[in-house]
Amino acid sequence: MQKRFGRQRLTCGSIDHTVHRRLFLQGSMVGGVSSVASFSGLFSIPALADETKKAGKKCILLWLCGAPSQFETWDPKPGTETGGPFAAINTNLPGVQISSLMPKCATIMDKLAVIRSMKTTPSEHFQGIDALTRGATPRPPFTRPILGSVVAEQLGQLDSPVPQFVLLDPCPEGNEFKAFKAGNWAGWLGAEYGPVRAGGSYSIPNIDRLDSISESDHEDREALRSFFSRKYENDHRSAAAASHNAAFNRVKGLMSCAPLFDLENLPESDRDRYGRGAFAQHALQARHLIENGSTFVMVANGMPWDNHVYQHEMHQMLVPELDNVIFQLIADLNERGMLDDTLVIAMGEFGRTPWLNDARGRDHYPNAWSLAMAGAGIQGGVVYGATDPLGFDVIDGEVDQRRLFATIFSALGIDPHAEYNLPGLPTFHRVEDDAEPIREVLA
Amino acid sequence: MSAIVCIAAWITAVNCIFDCVVSHAADAQPAAVINQQLSARWKRDHIQPADRCSDRDFVRRVYLDLAGRIPTVQETTEFLNDGRDDRRNRLIDTLLASEDHVQHFADLFDALLMGRTDDSKYAERVKHGWRDYLETAFRENRPWNDVAAEILLARPDDKTQRGAVWFLYERNNQHQAIAESIAPAFFGIRIECAQCHDHMMVDEIKQEHYWGLVAFFNRSKNENTPNGPRVAESAIGGFSEFANLTGESSPNRLAFLQTETIDERRPEKDEKQADSDELYVPASVSDDPRVPKFSRREQFVTNVLQDHPLLARSMVNRLWAILMGRGIVHPYDEIDSIHPPSHPELLDWLSEDFANNGFDVRRLTGMIARSDAYQLDSKRPDDVNDPSTFAWYLERPLTAEQMARSIQLAMRGTFQNDATVVSSFRAQFLDVLPDQVEVPIADALYFSNNEKLIGYIRESKAEGQLMQQLIGEASHRSRANRLIETLFGREATKDEIKAIVKYLKQRQDRMPDAIEQVVWSLLAGAEFRFNH
Repeated sequence: MQKRFGRQRLTCGSIDHTVHRRLFLQGSMVGGVSSVASFSGLFSIPALADETKKAGKKCILLWLCGAPSQFETWDPKPGTETGGPFAAINTNLPGVQISSLMPKCATIMDKLAVIRSMKTTPSEHFQGIDALTRGATPRPPFTRPILGSVVAEQLGQLDSPVPQFVLLDPCPEGNEFKAFKAGNWAGWLGAEYGPVRAGGSYSIPNIDRLDSISESDHEDREALRSFFSRKYENDHRSAAAASHNAAFNRVKGLMSCAPLFDLENLPESDRDRYGRGAFAQHALQARHLIENGSTFVMVANGMPWDNHVYQHEMHQMLVPELDNVIFQLIADLNERGMLDDTLVIAMGEFGRTPWLNDARGRDHYPNAWSLAMAGAGIQGGVVYGATDPLGFDVIDGEVDQRRLFATIFSALGIDPHAEYNLPGLPTFHRVEDDAEPIREVLA
Repeated sequence: MSAIVCIAAWITAVNCIFDCVVSHAADAQPAAVINQQLSARWKRDHIQPADRCSDRDFVRRVYLDLAGRIPTVQETTEFLNDGRDDRRNRLIDTLLASEDHVQHFADLFDALLMGRTDDSKYAERVKHGWRDYLETAFRENRPWNDVAAEILLARPDDKTQRGAVWFLYERNNQHQAIAESIAPAFFGIRIECAQCHDHMMVDEIKQEHYWGLVAFFNRSKNENTPNGPRVAESAIGGFSEFANLTGESSPNRLAFLQTETIDERRPEKDEKQADSDELYVPASVSDDPRVPKFSRREQFVTNVLQDHPLLARSMVNRLWAILMGRGIVHPYDEIDSIHPPSHPELLDWLSEDFANNGFDVRRLTGMIARSDAYQLDSKRPDDVNDPSTFAWYLERPLTAEQMARSIQLAMRGTFQNDATVVSSFRAQFLDVLPDQVEVPIADALYFSNNEKLIGYIRESKAEGQLMQQLIGEASHRSRANRLIETLFGREATKDEIKAIVKYLKQRQDRMPDAIEQVVWSLLAGAEFRFNH
């Protein structure tokens, strides 16, 4: 623990303060370097000898940033003044309908748990993203770690060459999400639990061996380096040299996973099946990473769901892609026997208004919205909670971000109420206020 | 006993002890004060410090710390052959007077004051005179308080000083960013936490200080004049309220910690301030922006900065960190009540001495380099773990520029400060004074697979360059000897020769590649990567 918090200066650990110094040094290079910084962070601690074999559960978060409409997805209100133009269709769960934009998910509702009673408070993106990815509204100046960091810390294999927390985001833009991405994701857990960022224009610099050296020479050269460098380390009892050598020690392993980050290596048939959109391709890559040892993969695509303008037209494009992605992902995980250990979550930071604005868009609406989960620890075929006939408010089973996170942690076998051990900071729990998980959706 | 009385009593006690230790040594040889203060702590804590470092270790170390590069084989040999007893002090003086020292300190302070950036912004810093301003400051060893004042007043009265505006100008009217960078740069404190609330742990840093520091600069505005970029200042405006976490609001007065709040009439509610020529005087330089009669920047420089105790203290602590691997207060830029100095009397004395001797940066740098502690072996002694004892020389990674110069020198015998390898390193190794050494795997990947770095090694094959010399050597053994001597500045051991010879022998069919790989294995190792 000592080491982990060594870098987190005793200022106060809040978002801006802890990253500020590095950002300052990086100056205007923030964008380009942040991926490197957090990437390297994940591996900068030595493997912990006492790391025991973890439960083996994993998680894919389909992060629908910008916030999709519940009306055009999981909670349709067909034929009402708020329902919009799309019909509702029957599903393989008797009596349950979802939007006609999701015909494929309609066939696997027995595997999904849908929550129709999300009720949260932040109505702006940054605050919404913050609350719904960390599981709590902020308590400045302290920074709660993001879901992926907590799961990587709890379930990850730190000595694995494969990154444990990966953010796949083909679009580095995204208004408030872009700003959020530049912030401190791992919070008080420390930068080593931040995500490796890949996808699209993100790449891992210097990951490929140069053509000018053969694989065996590359290895032998490292062995020679190590001979000299360890000699120095031992002679000087040098912690700095130990850290230096530990970093080189991981090079080979990480280079060996470079292909995991290369979409071109995935079978064409899989790529066609998921669809050629960036989000779909990266969802496929997420499956591939999870299969190969990652613990938490968050798939985003900038902030495309924020449809203040032409909501119906935009959703008509976005929702079918999401429908197919969820369907393919669940099918693949199921076929590979991985669904029982892999939690899939599809959600945004809030919902959309029942009414349309002047631009025929739906605006931000945290008051009553929906999300879906499947896989590890989740009871399929459950629709939890309900909204009133026009979708203005939750009438049954209110769920806020704390209950949601208690549910997610429980599904993954992580104690939702454990206390963080944070010397010098106030007492924090993984989920505050003893918020109860939703028992009905837990397997 | 009240807290104040307690502190007063403590100060008296400290002064008393201190007078006894210091008074005689002070004039004779300032480095002796450092020695006495550090050894007193070693004695008290029963610490056996490391041995004095060898001349070989010293010469590499002091070139890196003062000249920003490793010595050449010839420079090392010259030093080792110097039989005079005071050869170390002589070398320190020579290096402090060298142009390499100027370049090295300009590199360091550019990173510390301005932050790392990209090539186009570095080019702007050169174009608009900032780099030249820094170099001149160190070349002429200008008093640090004058430099600080010029940078923050940003009103150059002749062309040679024009770069002084760039500290403010580059921050592009971002007044909070300006305040947040002034605090560590010239006061050695960090105030970001006090933006939204009084600092939660550091009691003395208040929210009014944050917004006060912003207010001193929030009438400033970038202006492009016929003389080049300047930072103009308005005589009106800049009044606002800031709210704390409970929603109470307060006016942003001209306040800063450890100084008296400066009076300024605040406009009444709904009073609209009118700007008029009468509120200004013309600039002393034609075409420069007019100057407000009541200039907040000038108020800050005159009434806050000049006599502020942290001005000297922050520079002392930072120079100490540069030379010794960590500050007497650690981290070096958090000189506040929750980061007590490891050697309070020493920090007091050095700060006072620095201020009393004209804020003479070179004098202080030399003083620290001449101290016994600076010249200790870098091998950590048994049973000593606390780096704040300074009982051994603390290793530190070479900065990007140190690394780039040293590799050039080793591979090609000369270096250029604007070589492409410099910009490649600068983009990779950002920190210059890290709080602790943690090597990211990205750095290891960079060494392992970066085309520019590896290409640079390979292409060092012109007449007189290392690759060409190595290929020309008669045997693998002589190759091994030359390599270790050139890159590590020492003789090779038997084991090392054996390892290199074996590696080369196995690759007789591809000798240039094999030699290049051996060079890499030494450059990418800890012995080269760190100053020790």
